[in-house]
Amino acid sequence: MTQRYLFVFAQVHEEFRIPELLSIAELNGIEITFPCPLGELDLARPFMVLGLENDEAARLLARRCILIKSICEFYARGRTYAEVHEENRKNASKWEQYIENTTFKFDVSAYNHSIPQRRQRDIVESFSYMALLGKIEMKDPQVTFVCLEEYIDKHGTTRHKHEGDGKCREIFFGRLIEEGSARSLVKKFDVKKRSYYGNTSMEAEISLLMANQTLASPGKLIYDPFIGTGSMAYTTAHFGAWVFGSDIDGRQMRGKDPPYGVRAGAKRLGRKKPLSVPASRPVQPRPDDQPYVPPTKPYELSALATDLVVLARYMLKPGGRLVFFLPTVTEEYEEVDIHTMLCEGMEVVANSLQNFGSWGRRLITIKKTTTSRFPAPVFEPQGGSEENNAENGHVPAHKDFRTKYFQGFKKDVT
Amino acid sequence: MVRLITHNLLACHAKGCTSNNFPLQFKDVAIEIREAEFNPDFLRGFLARLEWGALVDAARQLGDTSLPPEVPDMLDDDFLKSLHHVLLEIHVEEGAMICPNCQHVYAISNGIPNMLLAEHEIG
Repeated sequence: MTQRYLFVFAQVHEEFRIPELLSIAELNGIEITFPCPLGELDLARPFMVLGLENDEAARLLARRCILIKSICEFYARGRTYAEVHEENRKNASKWEQYIENTTFKFDVSAYNHSIPQRRQRDIVESFSYMALLGKIEMKDPQVTFVCLEEYIDKHGTTRHKHEGDGKCREIFFGRLIEEGSARSLVKKFDVKKRSYYGNTSMEAEISLLMANQTLASPGKLIYDPFIGTGSMAYTTAHFGAWVFGSDIDGRQMRGKDPPYGVRAGAKRLGRKKPLSVPASRPVQPRPDDQPYVPPTKPYELSALATDLVVLARYMLKPGGRLVFFLPTVTEEYEEVDIHTMLCEGMEVVANSLQNFGSWGRRLITIKKTTTSRFPAPVFEPQGGSEENNAENGHVPAHKDFRTKYFQGFKKDVT
Repeated sequence: MVRLITHNLLACHAKGCTSNNFPLQFKDVAIEIREAEFNPDFLRGFLARLEWGALVDAARQLGDTSLPPEVPDMLDDDFLKSLHHVLLEIHVEEGAMICPNCQHVYAISNGIPNMLLAEHEIG
C-alpha cells in the first residue's frame, strides 16, 4: 500500500532534484509514486506530495538525498486553512493514535515569507479540534506536526517585513518523519576545511550530488580517471565505496605543487605540434632522481566524452553508471549533443543543468544497459575511438568548449 | 594506492605492447599492511572480474601464500578473509612494476604508480 508523504526540498540545483531522488530510491530498492509525469513536476516549488511504501523508505531517502530538507507523513493541503482543516479531519485515522499519551509540538513556517509570531500561535490554535491530550514538549517531542505556507517569490519588490502575511499560494500539513540529515554533509565537505585542495576542487554540494548519482555504497568500486585533488574520492568514500583514481598530473594527488589558472583543461599524452623527427627514444636526458613528466596536449572535449563512454562500457559491470560533468554553451546546446557521445549498450538516465548564464555544466549519468563484454577500446591519438570516429553527422555544441569559453562565447570569431 | 586489486586491473599500454603485457611484475617493493573493512558481498561480486592466476602470483611475490591456486567452489569465510587481506590490505608503497613483455618500468612512489608513458612509447 502506497502512502502519501510531503517532501520539503532545498530550493537549489532544481534540475538535480528528481535524478538524485530516483538514484537513491534505486540504491535502496524504493519505489516512488509521482502525481504526474516527471516532466510536468513544478520544480520551482519546494513542496511535493509523493507516494512511498512506508516511513522507513522516507527515512532512507531523507538520510541520503542532499536536496531533501525533510519528509513528513502527509495529512492535508489547501489554498485556505478551512480546506486544510477539512481534509485533515477526514484523515483523522492517520493522527488519532497521537491524541493520548504522546508529547508533541507544532512547527509553523513559510517558504518565501516569515509568519509573525502572533499568527503562528493562531495557526497552532486553529488545530485545537485535534484535541491532542499529550504534553507539549519543545525539545525532543515524540511527534512533530508541521504546517507550511508557500508564498510566491517576492524577490525584487520592496515591502514591509510581514506584508502580504497569510496571502499564501498553498498550505501543507503533516507529521515529521525525518529531517534531511545529508544536507549537513555540505558543511562537512566544505572545500575550505579540507587539508588539501586546489583550484580544480569541486564545491561540496555538487560533489555530493555527483556521488549520489554514482550510487556509491559499501561493496562498490568506483574509478575516477581524472581524480585531481580528489573531490569525488572524498564523497564517494564517505558513502562507503572503494575508490581509486588516476590523473595525468600526479602532483595534485601527491599533495604538492597545485596548478594555477582557471580549471585545468583536459590533457592527453603527446605534443601539441608533432616533432619534425619522430622520437624513438627520450628526447632529452634527465637526471635519474627526477620522475619523468611526459609532454601533454589538449584533449578536445567531444572526443574526450565519446572516449570516456566507450571506456566505461568496457570497465563497468552491467547496470553500472558513468557520471561526469559536461560543460556546454547554453545557447547552442541541443539534447542531441548528448546522444553523439553514446554507443551501443550505454543509455542516458539523467541530465541536469547547473546554469552559469552563457555557459553551464550538465551532470550526465549514463547507465550500462548491456550484459555483453567488450574488448578494451583503442583510442586514436587524434581523439575519439575508432568506433566513434566512424559515426558521422551532428557536431555537438560542446565541441571545442574550451576555445569557446576563452572567446567569451562570441559567434563568428575567426 | 597499489593494492593488489589495483594491480590486477593494470596492464602495460606502451605502443605495440599488446600481448604478454599482464600481469606486471613487482620489483624492489616496500609493502605496508593497512586494515580495511571486511565486506564479503563486495568480494563475491568482484571475484568474476579478477584474473585469479595473476592475483595468486602477485600475492606470492609479496610473500603471501594464503590463496589457493584455483577459486574454490565454496566461498567460505576463511577464504573470503584471505582474499580480503590480499586484495585490499597489502599496499605496495615503493618499488616498481615491470612489463613481462617490453620490460617497461612503472615506478611506484608514495603508494602511487606512475603509469604515464614516455613520448616514444605512445601510439
